[in-house]
Amino acid sequence: MGLFDKKDDKKKEEKKAGKKADFSKVQSGSSTTAKPEAKAAAGAKSYTVKSGDSLWKISEQMYGNGNDWRRIYEANKDRIQNPDVIQPGWVLTIPAQAGSTGEVK
Amino acid sequence: MMLALVLTATLTALACQREEATDTADDTDIVEDAGPALDVSDVALGRSIGPDRKVAEEVGDFAPTDTIYASVETSGTGSGTLSARWTFEDGQVVDEGTQSVTGAGVTEFHVSNPAGWPAGHYEVVISLDGDEVDRSGFDVTTGT
Repeated sequence: MGLFDKKDDKKKEEKKAGKKADFSKVQSGSSTTAKPEAKAAAGAKSYTVKSGDSLWKISEQMYGNGNDWRRIYEANKDRIQNPDVIQPGWVLTIPAQAGSTGEVK
Repeated sequence: MMLALVLTATLTALACQREEATDTADDTDIVEDAGPALDVSDVALGRSIGPDRKVAEEVGDFAPTDTIYASVETSGTGSGTLSARWTFEDGQVVDEGTQSVTGAGVTEFHVSNPAGWPAGHYEVVISLDGDEVDRSGFDVTTGT
């Protein structure tokens, strides 16, 4: 009787051990629209969108010229689907002005 | 005459100091905006994602050949590290991944298994800077 019990236990253990699946071939990855710090371009700055902001307004504020809004749009295309629609709370990358020494106004 | 010279020099020095203070205020004013802290607002699982990193269709059952995506939406400002820990059945670790994030956006983690996923129950635990913020379960079935 005791011998059979031991055999049953062994079977149960083997069954449990056999359930360990092999995930050695699993492949994984990740990506984000919330830009990692490492991607921030040299000379670029960040700006958090406030209620009532537009790309034109932000460009005017950062570069002194609203016409440069496209530079901000291009730098944040992975987040901005429509340049007319930006959401408060978004952190936008503000690239350095072309020809500048890397300083945003 | 001497008094006039001293007075002029003092006024010039004061004017310069005032100008410097204004310049510094201008710089900090625009760049730093205080906002709500970085937080995870939503986690969804699916078989595919769009360019916005959001899952096309949220599902809870997968086939053994599926790539499984976890789409994590963050809100607020600041930076942090998101991590996804995938486990099988009683906690056997399938995979772990991390991603640095800054501010609001969508982050996707995905896993695939060329050998095929064993049928059973899985979980993915999402953490932000080491703190668990979401736990989602899903099943792999051969009939899916």
